[in-house]
Amino acid sequence: MSVVSGNPNGVAIIQPRVAAQPLPWEGYAEAPTLKGLKRGLNGFSSRACRRISSVVLIKSMPLDFAQPVVRRAWLRQLLAPIDEAKWNDLARELFAWQFAQVPAYRRLCLAHGVTPESMASWRDIPAVPQQLFKQTLLYAHGSAPPAAIYVTSGTTTGQPGRQHLLGTDIYRAVTVEGARRAGLLAREVELHFLTPSPAEASYSSLSAMFGFWQKAFRQIFPRPRFWVRHGHFEFSRLRETLTTQIKARRPVAICGTAFSFVHLIDAWADLPPLRLPRGSWLLETGGFKGRSREISKTRLYSQLARTFTVRDTAIWNEYGMSELSSQAYAHGTHGLHHTPPWARVLVCDPATGREVRVGKQGLVRWIDLANTDSVLALQTLDVAERTPHGFRLIGRLPRTEPRGCSLSADDLVAHGESSSPTP
Amino acid sequence: MTTRQRLDLLARAYPRLFPRTELLHLLRDQLGHVDALDTWIRREDVRVRARAPKIIYHICAGNLAVSAWTSLAHGLLLGAHNVVKLPGDRDEGNRPSSTTRREILAFIRGLPAPLRKLVETHRELDVDLLHQAEVIVAFGADTTMKGLRALIRWDQKFIAHGHALSLLWLADPNRLTPRQARACAVDILIYDQLGCLSPQAIYVPPGTDFYSLGRKLAHALEAHWLGLKKKPARPLSVAARIAEARDMAHALGHRVWLPPKHHLGWTLIHNPDPAFQPSPLHGVITLREAGESRLGAALASVAGRISTVGITDRLSARLENVFLGLGVSRFCAAGRMQFPPLTWHHDGRSSLADLVAWIDSENFE
Repeated sequence: MSVVSGNPNGVAIIQPRVAAQPLPWEGYAEAPTLKGLKRGLNGFSSRACRRISSVVLIKSMPLDFAQPVVRRAWLRQLLAPIDEAKWNDLARELFAWQFAQVPAYRRLCLAHGVTPESMASWRDIPAVPQQLFKQTLLYAHGSAPPAAIYVTSGTTTGQPGRQHLLGTDIYRAVTVEGARRAGLLAREVELHFLTPSPAEASYSSLSAMFGFWQKAFRQIFPRPRFWVRHGHFEFSRLRETLTTQIKARRPVAICGTAFSFVHLIDAWADLPPLRLPRGSWLLETGGFKGRSREISKTRLYSQLARTFTVRDTAIWNEYGMSELSSQAYAHGTHGLHHTPPWARVLVCDPATGREVRVGKQGLVRWIDLANTDSVLALQTLDVAERTPHGFRLIGRLPRTEPRGCSLSADDLVAHGESSSPTP
Repeated sequence: MTTRQRLDLLARAYPRLFPRTELLHLLRDQLGHVDALDTWIRREDVRVRARAPKIIYHICAGNLAVSAWTSLAHGLLLGAHNVVKLPGDRDEGNRPSSTTRREILAFIRGLPAPLRKLVETHRELDVDLLHQAEVIVAFGADTTMKGLRALIRWDQKFIAHGHALSLLWLADPNRLTPRQARACAVDILIYDQLGCLSPQAIYVPPGTDFYSLGRKLAHALEAHWLGLKKKPARPLSVAARIAEARDMAHALGHRVWLPPKHHLGWTLIHNPDPAFQPSPLHGVITLREAGESRLGAALASVAGRISTVGITDRLSARLENVFLGLGVSRFCAAGRMQFPPLTWHHDGRSSLADLVAWIDSENFE
């Protein structure tokens, strides 16, 4: 067996495929087939395929991520082993496509003096500020209608950002496979989500991800539940269900935003702790931006551990965002975050744009090869410490330096909110 | 100690910040007489004298020390006991403000002993002391003001300086002289653009040659930056905002002027959208075009919050009316935005006169 690969320099790459394990998304999303590739790709070397029947080969050509067959082939590559050279090639290919397709991104790259031709390493790929998603459309498919539009919170500027996806195929596959490789979804648990269902919140990438988890593992997680309905938490019903599952000694997993867990802790403050069966875990994500109150991660984890009688290491953090397709995971209060193989994080100094040294703090910059439909490189305002084997997420950069009497964007939003009529 | 004695001590300690002549002018302008606090002053048929508050509670902002210095100087001039609530390590937005605190403490240490005795400092808000104060002067975020208002009694004077911003208006940008460009650079870069008197945008009329204007301003900004003896720090949080502003502008197709080697001292952006948007500060300034007919709409989102408009050349009567309609409280020449006279009506208030009460003695003979 082999994996599909290609690069923009006219050189076809043939790589042996490692022993194929069944992937969770297979059978759910249509996997790429030799027949499909032959039919869908111009310039495909059918002669080569006939000669080497176990080899799938794409002759180099400008990739078009609007083509389903290219998307499937791309996905197959992302989920296969990726060494450094291949990572660089894939990043270069995706960068070249998005450079050509996304005008705002092209302008940014040109301002940095980086083009697909001049780019020496994937580390040189310019990253768009996360804020840019709130100001302009970053979509690589022109007028083609997106299958999904995920909306960011918009709590810092009052204007939400929008991530347009031509199809949810790649997002669906990498969110499932990313969680599986992180160690989640490895054994049977009863899944509970403290979010609205994807049907109720079609704009939410988080609800979509939880929905994909549920569908991908429908057979082993038969009864997922979304415990936010019509904008309200259903904590009483959740507790009843959990109590039943605990009695039956079935492990459970509860996933939600940090904000939703705070509400849950508050709601159950006067109730005795639950004792979740062995193998249970919790997953929190996101911050408290603009929410009613904030608590530290240490305190949140200690309260969660007490409320559910679980170990600190059974509490996971998912670090992702609507503007990206991939996620990083960490477990325990002091756990390091790890990305899946198809996404990488650089901890960068904004003054130089370069990576900081190990042990130093900088801003998180994502390079996400699964983010085909917008921009692969995203510059966040999240502070992290670079570690030898990952990064330690510290938190969101404070919005601004002390402003005192000077008006800031945040203040302007607050001013607008307070001066607008209330119903 | 008389007012004149306190004035002399203050002027001697800080002759550049509080020149003697300006302090005398301030007293005459706002209290009618230099000795109004010490003796009866005749006003037509009535004798009056000013009474200073016994305790003034100053709540200082974390961004700049200069507003605290001025507020404290007013209190000292009046001979009041001054309680100073220093900014914490972090302000309400979790932003560092320890530099400002150090500068305020240094100012107090530099006062002569008789004045220093009139000052006490606190790191935390002391509600008991707050309730004893006759006057509370506060600088900072709107949320801080809201919280304080809930704490104070009805019979206490509360002088709140909340959020505000300032602008530059270039009347004839195509003929901007190097001197005017330098004046703009001073306004933009002094105090690292952190105060409410710092311009956050430069407005110009239609027909502006942005290429030429940008080049002149960029040249002046770089010259001023190079001349700064102590350049403001660019920690991670500041560098991130500046880099973000630059990348956003590049991606949106705006014209951007950057310093040599792209250092983080200043950034000039031409945004074709006339609607005002707050700057990330720290030397990031945006050029926007709006004529007299569009300026009101462009600034509508910040109406009532514009402190100062710095002007080059002239201000037409029509434009002046537009700005007045937006609640602007001060016009000045470019280059003078950060140096208001001591008699300046901060946020439209008489800073010294607002602090005192008056005693009338009518002719009863």
